[in-house]
Amino acid sequence: MELIIIGAVVLLIVFVVAQYNRLIRLNITVDEAFAQIEVQLKRRADLIPNLVETVKGYAKHEQSTFDAVVAARAKATSASSITDVAAADGALTNALRGLLAVAEAYPDLKASSNFLSLQEELSTTENKVSFARQFYNDNVRSLNTAVKTVPTNFFAGFAKVTSREFYEVENAADRNVPNVKF
Amino acid sequence: MAENNFRALQTANKGKTYFLLAAMGLLTWLVAYAALTYFGVGTASTIVPVAVGFALIGVWGSYYGSDKLVLTMTGAKLITREDAPELFNVIEEVVIASGLPMPKVAIVEDTAPNAFATGRNPEHALIAFTTRILEVMDRDELQGVIAHEMSHVANRDTLVSAVAATTAGAIAILSDFLTRMMWFGGGRDRNRDSNGNPLALIFSLVILILAPIAAILLKSAISRKREALADATAVSFTRNPAGLRKALEVLAADTTVVRQKSNAVAHIWIESPLDGQAVSKLFSTHPPIQERIATLKAMESLGPAGE
Repeated sequence: MELIIIGAVVLLIVFVVAQYNRLIRLNITVDEAFAQIEVQLKRRADLIPNLVETVKGYAKHEQSTFDAVVAARAKATSASSITDVAAADGALTNALRGLLAVAEAYPDLKASSNFLSLQEELSTTENKVSFARQFYNDNVRSLNTAVKTVPTNFFAGFAKVTSREFYEVENAADRNVPNVKF
Repeated sequence: MAENNFRALQTANKGKTYFLLAAMGLLTWLVAYAALTYFGVGTASTIVPVAVGFALIGVWGSYYGSDKLVLTMTGAKLITREDAPELFNVIEEVVIASGLPMPKVAIVEDTAPNAFATGRNPEHALIAFTTRILEVMDRDELQGVIAHEMSHVANRDTLVSAVAATTAGAIAILSDFLTRMMWFGGGRDRNRDSNGNPLALIFSLVILILAPIAAILLKSAISRKREALADATAVSFTRNPAGLRKALEVLAADTTVVRQKSNAVAHIWIESPLDGQAVSKLFSTHPPIQERIATLKAMESLGPAGE
């Protein structure tokens, strides 16, 4: 009889520890995923001055486009909360699209090797930003599901883990928000 | 949730793998039972561990050193970022989407477009591409192929196929031993008293003869399910079924086949180099490529995120 009770207590402890650790792990993954978004956004911000200079060399009259990109970049580098970062990120993506559209009109620019390598860097960074967002949102989705479903929801308060915000981009075309189903 | 979205497909293919691995276990158990009925406890209790041991030693070494072994077996050469910056860009994109560590990257000089992944765990992963696949594929297609290979890494397919190969190997060794012993009238006389039931003896004999073929069939079925799973996982990384679908269409249209040095690594390529040689669908390591294309097309029609 004692053995059964001891066994039950051990199983219960193992169960509680497993649930607790799962929540903590999910929470850390979400933090890491957000850090990855920031790393990629920083990379993109670092590319911009060079890109603007290169385009300027060929297309001097497009000052308004350059100003839009520079302004969006300044906003993006100063944002801190998830909502602000996401909004600034969406605005910068649009401004960069405008810049690349301008470049289309200048064949010499499009043919220059400097511009081509910058364009490759920019497009891979854009992809990385969007995959980092997707990875973050997937993890937020797992975390939020865990926080709200049995049995992990009983331990969420104890583990101090709460639901997190999705990273939502303003531009409807860039939206990559999974439906959360319970 | 729609039937064909990647999450449902991933769950279904994982379920089927567990079922097939369980069937493998059952088959091993049946063979052990047959050995027991036919030869008695004494013989069976020595021979079963020996067979499993042999199979384990054989497969475990190649599993543990898979990243290095496959390099020699395929003639692949490791490359760095400077050799192919664009390829590394696309790989890094998929790495971010998958949350896995960056794999080692290798190139195989070959005129057939193909690719593979190996390595005992995500930290020791290696993905390789033939020179031709890098020439014929555009960025989206390449991204699909890389996502498929990274899916093998994420799903630990080197481990799964090592387990399948060990079981199939143990069964083959075991049934080989036992059928030989039968010809020489081995241990049967010694144990005649303990198991006189002729039906059980015939049943055991049938099991011993059919088991190796059944094991190979199961191993191929597991490989096919893992390929289908990798396609579904790839879509969960890129959310772009069209990229992988177009890549598979390119592979299907191309009739050149990788000049491989060994058939032993045929199952690791994204497109099977043995297609023409397979006896039937049951023995092939990959699902028919047209079927894979159709599944991906169905996912495309579900809309952007497959939700």
